Amino acid sequence: MKRRSFLKGALAGAGVTALGPEAFAAGQPVDNRKISSIPFPQKRPMITYSDRPPLLESPRYVFAHPVTPNDMFFVRWHMPDIPTHIDLGTFRIKVNGLVERELSLSVDQLKHDFEPVEVYAVLQCGGNSRSAFKPTAGGIQWGSGAMGCARWKGVRLRDILERAGLKKEAEWVGFNGSETAAYYETPNFVRELHLEEIGDHVIVAYEMNGEDLPYLNGYPVRLVIPGTYSDSWVKMLSNLTVTSDYQHLFFMDKAYRVPDNDCECQKPGEHVPTKPITKMNVKSFIGYPTNGETLYHNSYATIRGVAFDYGAGIKAVMLSFDDGKTWQEATLGDDLGRYAFRAFTFDFKPKKYGKQTIMAKAINRAGEEQPYAKDIKWNHGGYKFNGIDVVTVEVV
Amino acid sequence: MKKTIFAALLSLGALNLHAALNEDVEVPYVPFEIKMGKHFDLVQANCLTCHSFGYILNQGKQSRTFWKEKVEKMVDAFKAPITKEDQALITDYLAEQYGNGQP
Repeated sequence: MKRRSFLKGALAGAGVTALGPEAFAAGQPVDNRKISSIPFPQKRPMITYSDRPPLLESPRYVFAHPVTPNDMFFVRWHMPDIPTHIDLGTFRIKVNGLVERELSLSVDQLKHDFEPVEVYAVLQCGGNSRSAFKPTAGGIQWGSGAMGCARWKGVRLRDILERAGLKKEAEWVGFNGSETAAYYETPNFVRELHLEEIGDHVIVAYEMNGEDLPYLNGYPVRLVIPGTYSDSWVKMLSNLTVTSDYQHLFFMDKAYRVPDNDCECQKPGEHVPTKPITKMNVKSFIGYPTNGETLYHNSYATIRGVAFDYGAGIKAVMLSFDDGKTWQEATLGDDLGRYAFRAFTFDFKPKKYGKQTIMAKAINRAGEEQPYAKDIKWNHGGYKFNGIDVVTVEVV
Repeated sequence: MKKTIFAALLSLGALNLHAALNEDVEVPYVPFEIKMGKHFDLVQANCLTCHSFGYILNQGKQSRTFWKEKVEKMVDAFKAPITKEDQALITDYLAEQYGNGQP
């Protein structure tokens, strides 16, 4: 029988490992979570994983466009108590530690005493698409909407540090946001960057898509580190401390890390040395059509989506309508800069009735391309999933 | 006092809030449907201080070891004051209600 011979083949192939390769791999991320009926401040209703701290995900259709609207931009906080009131008259960003002059800057000073810069950059949670991993990886089971791209306006972090004047022993900068824990003893959400990581592209942003940052995205100022996962993009930034030594901090040493090996993978239960997640890998995502939508036979549908990486830039997005046997090149949209979502479109005329899969694969200028989900190996935190996206529609 | 401000903001409509950020902004309460079960009272007493039930529901089905380590992480890394005895009972609840059958 056909089925039996298929199974035989599959088993023979699986002989390499006791449990079969699929046991420690990935599938497609969950894509059917419902949008909550309860909107959060300055947000339209979104997929809601938690209200305290708030965790909100953008639904798939948002990614039909290269700039994510502020009111649909994902939200991820770590601590239960986030300030519910920010008074710009008294709010200050403090710069201290190994500096010549301690600074205490108001948002108004940031806006007027420094050169303003703007950058389109993708903000993506390291655990975006985590629900793809099998067995279930630890952490919130995000679909693929824990990401977005905005035009950030602010000032270069280097300009602020220069104003303060770094002492010659200075090596690290610690960033503290205004969120606080329920218990005094809980470690603060502090992140550190080495001075070498702070290029001109790293900014302290006070504007997002031409508006004040939404409260839930870090009003009034947040760090923007284009090309890297969002764990270091500290929100409601209130303090910068310059040090000579690396401060061992929970959110640096324990959270947001992947195995420190070539595949960045491990077996469940296996403990291995780890490294921070940092640079984002190449990824694309289809915004239209969405799973389960209807397309019409012989009628053109414009497929839309976005692609991005760590800043090498997107070279091409390829689409497949025959489960990966053949690939066709999509048309790329305007280049908003190397850290931005690159929009892609493709005019597709369905030729057969019934179920139709659409796959998208991005290739960057460094020649790196998205792997099939099944080829992505497991890691304990379910980080960095970038499997080829698959949407299934019905052609009638 | 806080309540009055919240009510006033609601009447303005949530989407207008960025114009009113000099006032108190409230994050809405979302009722998450958590399963009732033995030792749920301890989960309610210990876990809700720092996070919503959404954090439990949205981890997916997990092994007993996973839940045990999660509870330990809350105590060791985040300094939640949960007694050894309660830690064990909370782990039982989580493994029972949100377990995948694995040890």
